[in-house]
Amino acid sequence: MTDAPERWSDNQVALVDLIDRVIGGGVVISGDVVLGVAGVDLVYLGLRLVLAPAHEVEPSIALGRRSA
Amino acid sequence: MLLYAVVPADATAPEKRGLTGQRLEIIRGTLAAVIVEESSERVSATGADSRAFGEIVCDLATTTSMLPIRFPTLLATRSAVLAELQANEAAWRGRLTELDGFSEVVIRAQWTESDPGLDSASHSSGTTYLMNRAAVIHRRDASAAEISELVGAWARETKVLSSQQGVRIACLVSHADVPQLKEAVATWQLGGDDRQAVVSGPWPIFSFVIDQEAGSR
Repeated sequence: MTDAPERWSDNQVALVDLIDRVIGGGVVISGDVVLGVAGVDLVYLGLRLVLAPAHEVEPSIALGRRSA
Repeated sequence: MLLYAVVPADATAPEKRGLTGQRLEIIRGTLAAVIVEESSERVSATGADSRAFGEIVCDLATTTSMLPIRFPTLLATRSAVLAELQANEAAWRGRLTELDGFSEVVIRAQWTESDPGLDSASHSSGTTYLMNRAAVIHRRDASAAEISELVGAWARETKVLSSQQGVRIACLVSHADVPQLKEAVATWQLGGDDRQAVVSGPWPIFSFVIDQEAGSR
């Protein structure tokens, strides 16, 4: 036997839809990075969402520590 | 800098504070502008922050046409924002012009009949399970097509969103047509005892910031 789906309230749906669209929709800022050694391209990274120097978004990196 | 939305270049600067309490600013390019908040605090996509960000964007959308920016998008400096703006403003301006006067509504529809594909323990074989899963997917595809056809008179574009239950469809609708679309969905729901549908919105056009047809060409 399969249970009937839970009925939704309008407020629940609105809140879930808003959060879903905020983090799943919208303009995506993207960037590309190619890592290479001695002029040879080795690794391509397609970046999305966050473009910032690491030391500005993760202070521990500026202090020479790796975050877990 | 936390980015909120792309707006027309001549949009009025918002008189509001952002997620971390700083005053929102507008960085203008030639063809478009970006609303930002300069903040030294870190932000993350928690439910509370996402909701607060969404409410700020919804509030901003009442005063100007906009393309909301996905949360959380952070750029390090004002010049980095300007660089992104200069790289994209022609496309953003075009989409802003196209979608001026439109908003997004999301329709969730489901049926109270059983969903056998979701209960793998009740099946005697893997083949049966896969066949039931396929039946569920076909049913969802047919339902999405039915809803899209239902709202076709008002929705300029539709987009099927991921959903755990039933189907979820985002519709791009002019502000004036939102009440008619909601009424059509309500009428459709009355057409069967097993139907349940909820419409949320109107929202800023989160799902339609890019022209899907142009993008697929």
